[in-house]
Amino acid sequence: MAELVGVYAASHGPMIVRNWDKLAAEERNSLDTAFRELGRRITAARLDALIVISPDHWVNFFIDNLPSICVGVGEEHDGPPEPWFKAFPHRKMAGHPALAEHVVRTALERDFEPSVSYKLALDHGFCIPLWKAGIDPLPPIVPVVLNDIEPPFPSVKRCYAWGAMLAEAVAGFPGKLRVAVLATGGLSHSIGEPDMGRIDEDFDRDCIRRFENGDPPALLDFLNQRLPSAGNGASEVRNWVAAHGAARGRGFELIRYDPIPNVYVGCGFASWRLG
Amino acid sequence: MRDYWLSKLFFDLQSPPLADEYRANRGAVLARYPLKPEVRAAVEADDVAALAKRVNPYLLRFYFLMAGMPEDDFLRRIRASGTSGKGKTAHG
Repeated sequence: MAELVGVYAASHGPMIVRNWDKLAAEERNSLDTAFRELGRRITAARLDALIVISPDHWVNFFIDNLPSICVGVGEEHDGPPEPWFKAFPHRKMAGHPALAEHVVRTALERDFEPSVSYKLALDHGFCIPLWKAGIDPLPPIVPVVLNDIEPPFPSVKRCYAWGAMLAEAVAGFPGKLRVAVLATGGLSHSIGEPDMGRIDEDFDRDCIRRFENGDPPALLDFLNQRLPSAGNGASEVRNWVAAHGAARGRGFELIRYDPIPNVYVGCGFASWRLG
Repeated sequence: MRDYWLSKLFFDLQSPPLADEYRANRGAVLARYPLKPEVRAAVEADDVAALAKRVNPYLLRFYFLMAGMPEDDFLRRIRASGTSGKGKTAHG
């Protein structure tokens, strides 16, 4: 059977790429250190497949058809289309259709109704962490698009349950695979809104403490109260909640947190305890 | 509530060839979208506050980057807009 050998989270702010040359040296060092450690852990996990949970930043979906959750079941995925992200080295990335289809079947058996796509382009939300973490070669990727971008959003309770279902799907996959989950995005930030650039460091540190502690009900209560005022980008913490579910709420080890004004994001990196 | 055709315009402008055409001849591209008169006027006036009420904030942010508005200018205008009506931020 397949084994879930890692659960991780990483921020993905576009300014990490677009504004890299204008970041202060200590900001670059901070991000490099965090991504390097994330990459070291992911590489050491010797993965056969990586499930990546990220929002779609208006690349695959629009308001004429906007799934809350979509699983990419294709044999390959397109690289990021953003014109400012041409440095990303992969125009195509391998998928893992067998695992992806198994995730979809498991989801349906567990009363989730995900959307399915055979052809996704993976935008910066997926690709900045993969690239900056230096994961080479990339393992086959099962993309999970979770709508954190356009309200209404899935509840954090449902995101946690989705993550728990992912762990169950991996455990039930009839094949010897080493699989990890990587959630991207967050922590607090605000994009295109009147508080753009605001980083809610108090929220971020509270949030991190609750992820570290495990205790899913306390975490979900906290997020239901505080997420709506931590900036629209903080909605991506839903992906972290799904990761928390995949790790059965065991709590994570913080790799690094750094609120970086020039990236507009409270940048967080974490690795869940699975033992 | 989103304005569909304004949103569609901003979404479509992610295509680099269309963005090039838009920067060269804004009117020709706008003519292909059935925008309400007040919405079209807001686009033509680069009225960040008026447009912010009608589109997803990520698309808004993308649009003004694409259109060439300097970052400091966009930040000043969006911060002055106070459009969310929900205090510091709109969508958690």
